[in-house]
Amino acid sequence: MERGYRIRSKPNYETLMWREKASAQVVVAKGAGGLAVLQLFQQMYPTQPVTVFYVRGNGSDTDHSATLARVVGDAIKLFDSETDALYAFYRSLPDFRMGTRFYVSGTESFMWSLCKLAKLFDIQESEIMMELSNSLARPVYCVHCKGTTPDVTTNIATCSKCSRKLFVRDHFSRHLGAYMGLMVDAENPGEVPEIEEIYP
Amino acid sequence: MSTLNVRVAAIEQVTPLVKHFTLMREDGQHFPTFSGGSHVVVAMDINGRTHRNAYSLMGSPDDTEAYHISVRRQEHSRGGSVFMHDNVVEGSQLQITMPVNLFSLSKMGRKHILIAGGIGITPFMSQLHDIQRNGYNYELHYAFRSLEHGAFSDQLKARCGNHAHIYVDRLGQKLDLRELLGSQPLGTHVYVCGPSSMVTAVLETARELGWPENHIHSEQFTAPPMGDAFTVQLAKSKTEITVPNDITLLEALETAGVNPDSLCRGGACGRCELDVLELDGEIFHHDHYLSDAEKASNRKIMPCVSRARCTHMLLDI
Repeated sequence: MERGYRIRSKPNYETLMWREKASAQVVVAKGAGGLAVLQLFQQMYPTQPVTVFYVRGNGSDTDHSATLARVVGDAIKLFDSETDALYAFYRSLPDFRMGTRFYVSGTESFMWSLCKLAKLFDIQESEIMMELSNSLARPVYCVHCKGTTPDVTTNIATCSKCSRKLFVRDHFSRHLGAYMGLMVDAENPGEVPEIEEIYP
Repeated sequence: MSTLNVRVAAIEQVTPLVKHFTLMREDGQHFPTFSGGSHVVVAMDINGRTHRNAYSLMGSPDDTEAYHISVRRQEHSRGGSVFMHDNVVEGSQLQITMPVNLFSLSKMGRKHILIAGGIGITPFMSQLHDIQRNGYNYELHYAFRSLEHGAFSDQLKARCGNHAHIYVDRLGQKLDLRELLGSQPLGTHVYVCGPSSMVTAVLETARELGWPENHIHSEQFTAPPMGDAFTVQLAKSKTEITVPNDITLLEALETAGVNPDSLCRGGACGRCELDVLELDGEIFHHDHYLSDAEKASNRKIMPCVSRARCTHMLLDI
């Protein structure tokens, strides 16, 4: 890795903090992201109406649902799958008014899937506070077949749609919510460098 | 700066204080089309000094035959609006800049709330054309002092039907901002143009309710504040100019033949920003463009609205 060199489009994330000027608070988290939500509620239980959408962790993704249910109380909605949680979030958006603040914690694939749904309601990602958790795994967009492969942990990934070997770059598209993936052996088919886990 | 020579084709007294001017090009050509919310800067020659005031274009953006502006007579201003009212007649020649838009509609928006106070209705007159052509969801909230001062209110009621909400101050009709801004669906944008008390109230209420900044839009054409005369030195032009008490630094530079870039002339767009190389006094920043840190550093000045008290200020121009 070249020293002092960075790709400006690569997103930086923050630590979730309540925005005190708000009419309502909406928090969405998955698995280990539940810890960020617990930290939020340690800051305070906000005065505004709160809704928490939480996807239970499974496997390597820690589950905080029991603690969250105790801390958050009736305001929590629990889901077993990411798709169900995102769908419920999306379906609830017409009920929220301007002044609602949004917070999300999870992997990049999860957070940017949520951003894409929010954008349909003209909520830009700059309005959503994001805290990365659980893993550095990346969503990767194949520039050849336009498919997106979620949760890639290696420097070179196999495209989930076209099976090309993709070199994972730092260039990030906020529109697509994914990193750019380029065929690694286009010039010398079959010559694929060593595949290493670098986004654990 | 590219300018157009125009002739005043018609003048209509809309209210006791507001006149509507129809402008046509001197060369008989068509005007460029523009987008709703655009303004032009009108240059006026008043007693040998060039005054430049920004006015919103009110007509349909598709109408390239004529541009329409409305001017409210401001008795206590520096004379630009009084000149437009008292000296400009049908047939008068004026110079205007090409249209510039610092108050455009957000195309991603799902709903648009337009809030106008008095003469602040003008940018919305052209925005409404864009809104209605695109079929956007919108509400217009228009407040003015008394019935005789409600410029274009009958026309707006006819054009907007039940999208238009009128508030006549004298009749005790008040716009409840908390109620209005607290009940809007996600994806709503608010736009305000009017007196500074109204603009401030809308900005503060929206922020207090948690509206994100990129959903809040405002425009104000206020006369630049006046103050004491001061002197500045120009590093590149190698000259010194004095800014009298009643003209702006930007106007003084222009009078001296130094022409910094400028657009809005209201401290909003940032185009005329100048670097301050040396300063022995203080700058009175009146713009909405520089950050608080930049203002405190005294390394930059927006000459269209800001002034200084100093004996020595070296500008990088």
